[in-house]
Amino acid sequence: MTEADHLAAFEARISRGEKIEPGDWMPDEYRRQLIRMISQHAHSEIVGMLPEGEWITRAPNLRRKMVLLAKVQDEAGHGQYLYHAAETLGATREEMIEALLSGKAKYAQVFNYPSLSWADMGVIGWFVDGAAILNQTMLAHCSYGPYSRAMIRISAEESFHMKQGKEQVIVLSQGTEAQKAMVQDAINRWWWPSVMMFGPHDQDSPNSPALIKWGIKTKTNDELRQDFVNQMTPEVFELGLRLPDPDLRYDEASGNWIHGPIDWDEFWRVVKGDGPCNAERIAARTKAHEDGLWVRQALEAYSLRETGAVAA
Amino acid sequence: MTSGDTQWPRYQVFHQEGPDRPHVNSGSVHATDEEMALQNARDVFVRRPDCVSLWAVLATDIHSLTAEELEREGLPESKNEDGDAQTYQVFLKKTHSGSHGHVGAIQATSPAAALAAAVANYGSQGGIVWWVVSDTSIVRTDPGEIDSLFQSAMSKPYRSQSFYHTVTLMRRLREKKGIRE
Amino acid sequence: MSSDPDRSIAEYLIGIGDDELILAHRDSEWTGHAPILEEDIAFANIALDEMGHAAAWYRLAGELQGQSAETYPDELVFARKPDEFRNIQMVELPNGDWAFSLMRQYLFDSLETVRLKALVESDWDPLADTAAKIRPEELYHLRHTKAWVRRLGLGTEESNQRMQNALDELYPYALQPFSTSGNEFSALPDIKSLRQAWKAEIQPLLAESNLNIPSVTDSPVRSREEHTSYLPMLIEEMQMVARTETEAQW
Repeated sequence: MTEADHLAAFEARISRGEKIEPGDWMPDEYRRQLIRMISQHAHSEIVGMLPEGEWITRAPNLRRKMVLLAKVQDEAGHGQYLYHAAETLGATREEMIEALLSGKAKYAQVFNYPSLSWADMGVIGWFVDGAAILNQTMLAHCSYGPYSRAMIRISAEESFHMKQGKEQVIVLSQGTEAQKAMVQDAINRWWWPSVMMFGPHDQDSPNSPALIKWGIKTKTNDELRQDFVNQMTPEVFELGLRLPDPDLRYDEASGNWIHGPIDWDEFWRVVKGDGPCNAERIAARTKAHEDGLWVRQALEAYSLRETGAVAA
Repeated sequence: MTSGDTQWPRYQVFHQEGPDRPHVNSGSVHATDEEMALQNARDVFVRRPDCVSLWAVLATDIHSLTAEELEREGLPESKNEDGDAQTYQVFLKKTHSGSHGHVGAIQATSPAAALAAAVANYGSQGGIVWWVVSDTSIVRTDPGEIDSLFQSAMSKPYRSQSFYHTVTLMRRLREKKGIRE
Repeated sequence: MSSDPDRSIAEYLIGIGDDELILAHRDSEWTGHAPILEEDIAFANIALDEMGHAAAWYRLAGELQGQSAETYPDELVFARKPDEFRNIQMVELPNGDWAFSLMRQYLFDSLETVRLKALVESDWDPLADTAAKIRPEELYHLRHTKAWVRRLGLGTEESNQRMQNALDELYPYALQPFSTSGNEFSALPDIKSLRQAWKAEIQPLLAESNLNIPSVTDSPVRSREEHTSYLPMLIEEMQMVARTETEAQW
């Protein structure tokens, strides 16, 4: 079979809704796109642990403390599932970590914003995980088996993340004046970063067409973004809270909440590494990695000695 | 030698939800030895109910064949036909959206022979991926350890989305507002 | 300790509850910073178990004093002043490097394991029941930390040195639980036999791991009322959000 024949058979499999598994023929570009996408997703989960992890020690009651710790732990687990999915495509953990720490690899820009108050925990859970769920539900249908299965596992756990956040926002919105002010302030800071999580507008998204053709993405950035805004807006208003978008309006004809213009300058600044916390996030992960070197070396040495096997 | 690399051996993990259910592939972990493979498997994959048993297998001990490979290249060539027969456990991915589940055991003299037997005996009408693993390469949790391994996952209902009653809370708010207006 | 059994047993329970709470606080500080991703997950699990254990001991202490099981744990955690906490000093020390935290965790888990083994035999049923519920989770903690102590003790020269330094520093603190004068109540474990059981538990594992137990025989700390200067900062951080709105829901 020629390369063209292989490609035709591959694309026919995808349009039949079949899953591609390790061992199956796949185009190099498919493999490359997936490694990029999956590893970025993994990095996002790991970096995402940081803005929330900081608040575990300050949670205002035992229940919130345990819930937040369980959520952050899940995020580590999600990163773990995703790194492994990328590894089935031939990427190594070490290469992926190096790409993250050197700035070559991207991760969701939303995590480059600081978490400034306890109310951020509820808002991050409701908005950021809510946005992630929309994305993940779509990715669960992805054509690559290991990624699709990782996404199904992640989605099942993610709904707890969103609901615990929403519960907190509801409680704060009905609480004391200070709590209402705290949660409104958090919403003012996290709304736009959440809206931007869906990526650039469709016309500015170079990777999307290939991803859609090969069943890696099934909905466009703007479609998902519209779903998100439609879902969140009425409920935020019902709680007596506001959104920091003076142009937000309801369009009767389409049934959509039309949002105002997105500040793409800010988006690209943050994506390219100049956000409020980019340096801090990477520094934290770098420190963890470097401080951990002697630990990983010790485990390897033990393994070699005890099992007599090569740890590779 | 020591590179501090976390690209340690990869173990595929299989979990069993109940004594009457088959072991199903949940994903993989890196570990430097069998004990850490089981511990990592437990920490990564068993944070929620239900689980009564975990298996871990070095990824290099899994011999895999996909339906697409079978069609494209046929069965892999057998090498060690003179070896003694040993038990291989067979895992099958039957549907596109499913995972690799344990379906049974066969006797074979080599991994290639095991794969051929797996294809012949299991899912030949609709198998998508076959994995065969020699029984001796499976690391298993001990039934006597079920409590110490898996009770922690059972005692944390707050990890479940059903623990949060956001729908009820929103409904109550609407009702309160309705009364006031 | 007062001579009223209920009061004394409640104080004991609050003490071991505080041990779990403060250690969970320290363990949770590793989230996102552990040397390997798998350990972020494992250590978080240990911390979650510990928070659950703390709440269980606090509820039991509350039961003895006619307090509400629902609100008493949070009151203990968020309304007490630092000098009212009754944890041992070892758990309030800052995390240090991975060797320090691992060694501290191991010394604590080995102690908890022998203590729980004694507590399940308590002649006060609620205490025996709670201990029985907690014990399986603690057994896993010990399995985990033993595996790590062995691997780091035997791994490289550097890892062995770090673990030995950690053991040298932590061992005197680990002896603190045994320096109380003993329990007159049959519901609680005998201190002397607890100490022997603990020694028997740790000696083989540390020897196998090429680590030497310091020759210190007693803790300089005589009471759970004595704390290091680290505790006030820890408690302040723990309570800072809760204290902004003491009557509010969160």
